[in-house]
Amino acid sequence: MAMLRNVKNKIKKVTKKISAEKDAPKSKLKKEYPVDQAVETKIETAKYYTPERRPERAMQQDLPFSYDVDRMVLQVRDPWWLHTYWEVRHGTIEKLRHELKDDFSKAKRVLRVYDVSNIIFDGSNAHRFFDISVNEYATNWYIDAGGPGRSWCVDLGLLLPGGRFITILRSNVVHTPLEGPSWITDEEWMIPEDMFARLYGLGIGFGSSPAKVKRLWEQRLKREITSGAISSVSSPGRRPQEKKFWLVVNTELIVYGATEPDATVTVQGRHINLRPDGTFSLRFALPDGEQVIPVKAVSSDKQDERVITPVVNKKTK
Amino acid sequence: MHKGYLAIVLHTHLPYVRHPEHEDFLEEDWLYEAITETYIPLITVFQRLLDDNVKFRLTMSLTPTLISMLSDSLLQDRYIKHINRLIELAHKEVERTRWDGEFNSLANMYLAKFYEARNTFEKYGRNLTTAFKAFQDAGRIEIITCGATHGYFPLMDVSRASIRAQVKVAVGHYEKAFGRKPLGIWLPECGYYPGYDEILKEAGIKYFFSDSHGVLHGTPRPKYGVFAPVYCKSGVACFGRDLESSKQVWSSIEGYPGDYVYREFYRDIGFDLDYEYIRPYIHPDGVRISTGIKYYRITGTTNNKAAYNPHWAKDKAAEHAGNFMFNRQKQAEYLFDFLQKKPIIVSPYDAELYGHWWYEGPMWLDFLIRKIACDQKTISMITPSEYLSENPRNQVLTPSASSWGWKGYNEMWLQGSNDWIYRHLDVASERMTELAKKFSNTNGMLRRALNQALRELLLAQSSDWAFIMGTGTHVSYAVKRTKDHLLRFTRLYEDIKANSVDEAWLSDIEYKDNIFPDIDYRVHQ
Repeated sequence: MAMLRNVKNKIKKVTKKISAEKDAPKSKLKKEYPVDQAVETKIETAKYYTPERRPERAMQQDLPFSYDVDRMVLQVRDPWWLHTYWEVRHGTIEKLRHELKDDFSKAKRVLRVYDVSNIIFDGSNAHRFFDISVNEYATNWYIDAGGPGRSWCVDLGLLLPGGRFITILRSNVVHTPLEGPSWITDEEWMIPEDMFARLYGLGIGFGSSPAKVKRLWEQRLKREITSGAISSVSSPGRRPQEKKFWLVVNTELIVYGATEPDATVTVQGRHINLRPDGTFSLRFALPDGEQVIPVKAVSSDKQDERVITPVVNKKTK
Repeated sequence: MHKGYLAIVLHTHLPYVRHPEHEDFLEEDWLYEAITETYIPLITVFQRLLDDNVKFRLTMSLTPTLISMLSDSLLQDRYIKHINRLIELAHKEVERTRWDGEFNSLANMYLAKFYEARNTFEKYGRNLTTAFKAFQDAGRIEIITCGATHGYFPLMDVSRASIRAQVKVAVGHYEKAFGRKPLGIWLPECGYYPGYDEILKEAGIKYFFSDSHGVLHGTPRPKYGVFAPVYCKSGVACFGRDLESSKQVWSSIEGYPGDYVYREFYRDIGFDLDYEYIRPYIHPDGVRISTGIKYYRITGTTNNKAAYNPHWAKDKAAEHAGNFMFNRQKQAEYLFDFLQKKPIIVSPYDAELYGHWWYEGPMWLDFLIRKIACDQKTISMITPSEYLSENPRNQVLTPSASSWGWKGYNEMWLQGSNDWIYRHLDVASERMTELAKKFSNTNGMLRRALNQALRELLLAQSSDWAFIMGTGTHVSYAVKRTKDHLLRFTRLYEDIKANSVDEAWLSDIEYKDNIFPDIDYRVHQ
């Protein structure tokens, strides 16, 4: 389905986007562009200024680039991947620059991803963590956490040459879902392993053979058998992108004429309406074969009658 | 002997698209097409079943945005204009195709259908919600609610106050429309994250649905798989989707809608006919769009399409309904032996699949319901609330985070094309909570401004915008809607804080974004 193809292409783009270098020029642009626009708008507005009316408060045309807050949010994409976005206030960075002096320019900006499953995270008790280097223009990141069924927290921070880590922002904690069934069973609702495997296959729609189920489940995730492909907003009101070259030819016939405006006209025996000036025009899809089209006009006093009969032969070679 | 239950669920949703500021607005056609091709055909099916005294039970979610549009007088008037134009076009088509019997009978079929659509629309006082309400009051369908604007909850996790507002506004809206409390909810896109059931419980909701892996990957393991509901720790029940029955209808490869005798969706006279002739019936800008008059059947995999034959299609729909029922009987018998318990098979679909996408879908549903009622005794139709009152004892577990979208989790709404929206939506949600806390008791214009702020926030949160950005079609409209509502929200926030609300402007956006007239901003806590 066309929509599905689009989705697939998008995914390819997302995977590419994960490099932050791409974000850099974009962020710069966004920062500088509104300034020029503001000047332009001012000049433009001055041109049309009418002193009698109280000037209305102008509606912002675009969303702000930043909200001047320190903020980092972590989101779950799926059992393996996380997404985080953040914003650091200019003042926060300046303060660090001031405090760290020379070390600031030598520090690497990193995302530190903590596994905080089943603990109350205090900044130092994570089960493990790993770092991802990011450049200073990046404001979001997709993280391959690789750990379904775990809890995660992320810091944006500075890694100093000596190995010291300074946290700038800390995210909320999220939990990634399991990528398969839980290992935990319920004593009261016990179920044997092979029975569960069969049930699992049935529920996922792959029949009851446990051997196939796991492989098929993974395929399901990759091959998009889910409904989302055509779920949500309907109206894919457009033609599918067809790659094969094609041609369609149809023919129509226009039968038109004129008589006295008050005459009665029939075409192939059926009454038709005339325009106020006595003209008429009919349009027909023209299939192959012979069409005999008697057009008959009778005057309003029924004294005069005229019949003209075009005969049309259409052949498709 | 009776061996199991079938719960068919139709999720019926469209985002709020209403533009009084434009004479003619392309995206409003989503509603008009759905009315003609899905809602009215479904109503016709239900009405005939009721008239013939055929017992059936079916669950339908009607989203608050859809109910609001169906009840809106401007959109109702515009639908009449829309269907009148289609009737005019169908008349012309009957004339134009006079020499070609096959197409002429199809043109006559459309003409009759459009007249029938207009009659049905008028019969229910132009408000189709009343039709569905009547079927619920007659004990045939169970209507459930959804997020107020279909916000995608799993990506609103740091904005839980907004999830709460989405649920509470929806429940209040439902009560006003149907005169009772909703028993169940369709979580938008089946998006669940552990703990959200607490929010549902607060709002008095008894059950929701998840995709199959939501239950199957739950902890601890579900003893009956997806064939019995489970209770979350909050006591709210969760019904898991059965994928086998879903696949038979949904799958683009093996699903029924792809059968070659069924009507081809993409061949529409809006694209096929001579430009000058069709021009008055397409978009005023001259862009060719679908009209709803489609003359071809799927035929095969190539571009050569043959004319649609309604009789063949009807026979095929009956055959497919029989096949679906047979498979559910076998499934129920097998599961009954296996589980030593009557299974419930939950088959949810987007309602717009029926009729709009799969033209013969409503007919198929009609055949299916009649066959289940008359031809067998193995399965019976049920709604979740009936099942729960018959089977109050169920396993307690925590379902896994999941959705029914592409790949089963959040990626459809969280990818390169749409991830930028969350930094704005989350801030707006935080600001809304700040306003609700700061102004706990208000009246007059300040109250109006606060209520409008919540409307704008909810409208910005519709999952449809992120979804559309993700699919890559109609993107500019989705981006514009997200930005417009966020910008309106931001200005309200700033004006409210500065105590300088511009009444003329406020009235203007109240008129444009008029959803939820009884909203109370204090639900956003």
